[in-house]
Amino acid sequence: MSDSQTPTPAPIKKNKPKGPLRTEAVLPFTIIILLVMIYFKLFFDSNLRKGLEFAGYKVTGAEVDIAELQTSFFKASIRIQGIEVTDAMKPSHNSVSIGDVRFGMLWDAILRGKVVIKEVVVEKIEFGKPRKSPGKVKPPEPVVVNEDDGKPSALQKEAEKVKDKALSATESKYNNNVLGDVANMLGGTDSKVQMDKVEGSLLSKDMATKLNADMKLKSQAWQDRLKKLPQAKDFQALSDRAAKVKTKDFKSVDELQSSLKEFDSIFKEADAKTKEIQAANSDLNQDLQTSQKQIKDLEEQINKDAKNLESHFKIPKIDPKSLSQALFRQYLDPYLAKFNHYKNLANKYVPPNLMKKKNKEEVDVSMQPHPREKGVVYEFGRTNSYPAFWIQHVGVSSQAGMSPYSGNIKGEINDITTNQALIGKPTVALFAGDFPSAQLSGLDSKLVIDNRQENSKITFDFGLGSFPIEARALVNSEEVNIAFNKASGQLKLHSELEALRNFKMNLDNKFSQVQYDIKAKNSTVEEVLKTVFAGIPIVTLEAEGHGELPSLSLSVNSNLGTELSKGIEKQIQAKINEAREKIQKYVNEQVGAQKAQIEALYNQIKGQVEKELKKLQDQADAQKKVVQNKTDAAKKDGENQGKKKVEDTVKNAAEELKKKMGW
Amino acid sequence: MTLLLKQIFAFFQLLNSDTGRDQLAAGLACGIILGFAPFFSLQTILVLILVFFFRIQLGAAFLSAFFFKFVAYAFDPIADILGRNILETEALRPIFVKIYNMPILPFTRFNDSIVMGSLVISVILTIPGFFIFRHLVERYRIVVVARIRETKIWKAMAASKFYNWYASYEKLYR
Repeated sequence: MSDSQTPTPAPIKKNKPKGPLRTEAVLPFTIIILLVMIYFKLFFDSNLRKGLEFAGYKVTGAEVDIAELQTSFFKASIRIQGIEVTDAMKPSHNSVSIGDVRFGMLWDAILRGKVVIKEVVVEKIEFGKPRKSPGKVKPPEPVVVNEDDGKPSALQKEAEKVKDKALSATESKYNNNVLGDVANMLGGTDSKVQMDKVEGSLLSKDMATKLNADMKLKSQAWQDRLKKLPQAKDFQALSDRAAKVKTKDFKSVDELQSSLKEFDSIFKEADAKTKEIQAANSDLNQDLQTSQKQIKDLEEQINKDAKNLESHFKIPKIDPKSLSQALFRQYLDPYLAKFNHYKNLANKYVPPNLMKKKNKEEVDVSMQPHPREKGVVYEFGRTNSYPAFWIQHVGVSSQAGMSPYSGNIKGEINDITTNQALIGKPTVALFAGDFPSAQLSGLDSKLVIDNRQENSKITFDFGLGSFPIEARALVNSEEVNIAFNKASGQLKLHSELEALRNFKMNLDNKFSQVQYDIKAKNSTVEEVLKTVFAGIPIVTLEAEGHGELPSLSLSVNSNLGTELSKGIEKQIQAKINEAREKIQKYVNEQVGAQKAQIEALYNQIKGQVEKELKKLQDQADAQKKVVQNKTDAAKKDGENQGKKKVEDTVKNAAEELKKKMGW
Repeated sequence: MTLLLKQIFAFFQLLNSDTGRDQLAAGLACGIILGFAPFFSLQTILVLILVFFFRIQLGAAFLSAFFFKFVAYAFDPIADILGRNILETEALRPIFVKIYNMPILPFTRFNDSIVMGSLVISVILTIPGFFIFRHLVERYRIVVVARIRETKIWKAMAASKFYNWYASYEKLYR
């Protein structure tokens, strides 16, 4: 019973000794492999497409759509169709859309851990095509603020400083108000307004009033003095007195003496009067000289006042370069914004030039270290070996006519690689074509990225034979609106970037068949601008930029600036001349009458007093002469009488002697 | 994740058993290479295949790899210097050029200074590591496991029904 009840123990399963191979792992391994294959077959393409769209969005800052993506493991190929990149500035449109991109990698290179693509085909390129729905645009990065004070962090501030630095150099040169100032200058030449401002502040007017009063006083004083001077009657009295004096038949020497004495007295009196007249004459000359000087001063003051008035017009000196920059700022702004956008992208994604070289001339192709986050990755290349990444040729072609946004484009990009030194070739991209529907022709561009030497060099040449411009605003200020209503443009651009730092750029732009749209608040300004612009059928725009990124100094010049400044200066000068005449007239009106009075008074004093004094002088001189003559006559007569008397005495004595002698 | 946890439990089970000493030591030694090598590299794949298809304790390999990842991180500067010195050795240049341009081998990423340094360190550590780990497992079983089994708590637990049930389950389904 007990035996029958005792349960028989279950036979212990003896584990088979296991060999070194884990055979039971084959099944799970196979399952894993199958799952991987199923994933790649069913889901990988879709995931890669989504991944590329996401990466594109992150890089360009705008939605990127890919219609279809196909990969083939065995062919190592990828085909991407319907790539649409949203224009961040205009989300309703694509900046570029590419119909088809396909390429295959070489298995030979893949097995060596490298990516080598013989040929990439890019087809059906369209620009500015409207999107079915607006694309998503990445919002601007939020400003990182300090939790303590709620202000942007120091790092953020520094980043902003660096970012702004690029634009500050160019923006400081631009002045929104340059044309506004010109408008003010043109408007400010209204002489009436200016004269109203300065009326009552004319110094010449006060000076003339004072001088006029002075001249009147002087005139009166001279009238009084003339009266006090010896008159004709005084000279007549002297003449009468002289007539009474005996000039002959002197009976005695005393009598002669007495006459001579009288004549001397008359002469001295006449001489004193003459001196009095001469003194008056001298005073008059001095007075006249002073008055003349005062009149001259007045004239100078009149001129000075006129010049002061002119200075109120602020005759401008227009700098054509500043004017060009101001004019084309609005035109260039979108291009500068795009340039900065791509520059920032380049700063973010382009790897630094860190090739290791033996020396500047000789590049060691067998070993090129590339730093990663930590450590160094070496490339042990050799002649005819594959670099880590190499797209040998990209063929780009597009035919116009398929859609209004497509054009005839033919281009190629050769040798995109991580090791140019190894293949010994730079990356060269060439594009040429035209977009007839967009009236864009003569597109010709060349990009060379040469990273074979210590300092990488990127050169970019771009040319457009003709492109249309419609309703493009140049100036849009309160005072003035200037726009290209219609024009045909021509563009040539050459730029160089050395060591990803030193940037150089030359831009030549030409606008022909220009139709301007000019509006100004002030009708004078509008008239002037219209006249000036009518004489500029071809506009050139030259921009030159250079500097170490991110700082960039941009200089803009245009014949529009030169022509406009010339035209405006001419117009302003005409206005100023007109105003100058008005000023002169105004000054003459205000001061001229008084000046004429002063001059009349001066002439009157000069004429009358001088004449009077001359007359008196003549009379005095004549009187003196008469007295002198009479004195001489008296003297002669006295001498003759004395002589005769002596002769008679001698004769009488001789007669008496003869008589005595008895002859 | 379940597979991984299962393997780790198995590791502790094996560690406390009387068998599988070499499997454990090999797993721990392979973990050194896995820990020092970058995840996407040829050597990682090779070691994983090795661990997967040969009877090497997976849990031990994963645990060891996890631990040695931190060690490798600390060793990075040394590995970098060592790797640079090796990679820049003129005498070895032709070999490296050849390997670099051969199929498959560049996937070892040997041209990275840290990877090269780490590979050298891990290879140097692996072989002595195997013997050290084997010895440690032995010592663990003698010193730690035997002592624990002598404790009253363990004896009490071993006498419990639950333990018996678990032991039977183990014998039947393992």
